[in-house]
Amino acid sequence: MMLLALIRKELLALLRDPHALAALFLMPAAFIVIMSLALQNLYAPPLRQLPYAIDSATESPAARRISATWAKAHGTARPLPATPGAVDEALRQGRLAYVLTLDAGLADALSDLDPPRAPVVHLRVEPGLDQGAFRTLQAELASAVGELRAALLQASFTGESPRGSQSILPFMAVEQLGSTQRPVSAVQQNVPAWLVFGMFFVVTAISSLFVQEQHSGALARLAALGVPARIQILAKALPYVGINAIQAALMLTVGAALMPLLGGEALSLAGIHWLALLMMLAATSLAAIGFALLLACLVRTHAQANTLGPLCNLLMAALGGIMVPTFVMPGAMQQLARLSPMNWGLEGLLTVLLRQGDVAEAAPWALRLAVFGILGLALASRLFSRRITP
Amino acid sequence: MLQVRGLHYRYPAATTPALVDFSLEARRGEILGLLGPNGAGKSTLVAHLAGLLQPAAGQIEFDGEALDDLRRRAPGCIAIAPQDFAFYPMLSVAENLRCFAAASRLSGTAARQAIARALAATRLEDFVATRVEHLSGGLKRRLNLAIALLPTPGLLVLDEPTVGVDPQSRAFLLETVRSLAASGMGVIYTSHYMEEIEAVADRVVIVDRGRVLRQGSLTELLAQARGQVELQLEAPLDADALAALAGEIEGQLEVAGVHLKLDLAATASPVAALARIEARGGRIREARFGRYSLERLFMNLTDTRLRDQ
Repeated sequence: MMLLALIRKELLALLRDPHALAALFLMPAAFIVIMSLALQNLYAPPLRQLPYAIDSATESPAARRISATWAKAHGTARPLPATPGAVDEALRQGRLAYVLTLDAGLADALSDLDPPRAPVVHLRVEPGLDQGAFRTLQAELASAVGELRAALLQASFTGESPRGSQSILPFMAVEQLGSTQRPVSAVQQNVPAWLVFGMFFVVTAISSLFVQEQHSGALARLAALGVPARIQILAKALPYVGINAIQAALMLTVGAALMPLLGGEALSLAGIHWLALLMMLAATSLAAIGFALLLACLVRTHAQANTLGPLCNLLMAALGGIMVPTFVMPGAMQQLARLSPMNWGLEGLLTVLLRQGDVAEAAPWALRLAVFGILGLALASRLFSRRITP
Repeated sequence: MLQVRGLHYRYPAATTPALVDFSLEARRGEILGLLGPNGAGKSTLVAHLAGLLQPAAGQIEFDGEALDDLRRRAPGCIAIAPQDFAFYPMLSVAENLRCFAAASRLSGTAARQAIARALAATRLEDFVATRVEHLSGGLKRRLNLAIALLPTPGLLVLDEPTVGVDPQSRAFLLETVRSLAASGMGVIYTSHYMEEIEAVADRVVIVDRGRVLRQGSLTELLAQARGQVELQLEAPLDADALAALAGEIEGQLEVAGVHLKLDLAATASPVAALARIEARGGRIREARFGRYSLERLFMNLTDTRLRDQ
């Protein structure tokens, strides 16, 4: 009864604090939406939408075939600016993302067994094109030219053109392991990342009320009424397990249902190990609450509570791959990222959500989080009694 | 009811003890006024009574039982209404009372009855649904008291219960405290407002620097000024007149400009002393004899220097 009443008090205090509610629910959801949409291109470069032009010095069948193949994959080419100077200007200003130049000797060069004395196909890109898109274009162009050369050589040797498509792709099978059976998307990275971030943000709500109770003497009053410290701590921890669960449900729903409506990719939960997901969420919640209670027992003023908690969270997030995915970090930073509890939560969730990891595979991450959370709770318990005595 | 004997306590980082051989007694149905400047040791005593500090030496007994043992059995035997608003401003009055009733191990009918009693005693019935952050200072003080009354304590400790309230709320709170004592509850009332202590306390304990300086009934303490005469003259007396008076008056004479302080011998008459002063040319503007105000007694005992802690 006592515990329930104190839990009720915590929940009522939270429900009547719009800032804390916004920090716990709106902020991570907004981050998921904004960052997923903003980083969409980082995970899937929109090559098809890039404006391009073809500058062909020949009307040979080979040139027409390359143009047609390219248009099929990348959409219709834009009109070529009238002068070379205008082409350069269009590239510099980004009105054209790239220009393909096909030289007059294209067909002869491709049909010749010897390598050409000079390139006959040129790819010129605008200054702002990212390296990922540039390398992808380069590879696609090499593939298109290679396929055409193979077809032309075959025709010159056998007198027959290849039957059907000349694409090399039918000879290959590409597969990325994981539940989604498709490349990692921004949503799949951002949902677990900002979910972990949001779960750790219970620190603000917990420490803010804790400081208020401490200053007003409410904690001391409860202790004077004989409420044991363990009950007071438990009453502060348990509501936030529920809050973390609601956060998880909300963020996964945002990823799976809301993002497609906003033009992003959907988070796929098909085929994941739900028990492993629950384990990771529980461990992350334990770590977040343990950390929050420890910090709440360390700070003494509202100013400290309102700055130290978010500051620690931001540092853990920046370091742990929440804001910038660890796979784009250099090796040394990736090692440093392993020090952040948020990274443990993120890697564990990615193991489950992207790699179809089961309980055993996610367990190392969950174990680290659980140890961190239990240590936080233990230290908070030791500090708690000091906070209620004069 | 409450016996504090030889209590001693020093905070871990402090150079001087907060309580030194501190003893007092609170009785059922009686209001004990606890007076002391800042840093006198009042809060430390209250923290001991609340069970938040353990004495380094000395005993605290309640009805003959060690307070620690009794607290384990009945934590609500002593209730504290702290000086701060020790409740939750974002909750309503009823939500606060329900929370603290549960913390007092009250549930069901017992909780409902305790809440109803506390509301009635503090006349907060009309504000049960109001969020506390919207209450006036006086109403918050009443809620602070109401929460303290929930476990039906044998002893109620009120720490500066009327700070920041209007005269009407103060009068109501004092009346409530009197009626609680009249119902048999023991009350320890700490305040810086001497007139409040004079108005409600049956006995007074004056403390400073962790020690009890004086304790007794209000009448006893104020009567300790018997033989003291304080005068203010229209104009200062000349040196010859003062020298003559020093030989004529039976007792000690202290002079500070127009202010004269006489400490008369037990057999001396104040009327005769005043007559001699007039005979030596002193024109008396104001005279006070035989009774301190509590404030003057307090200031005399604790000295008038500013306390910075």
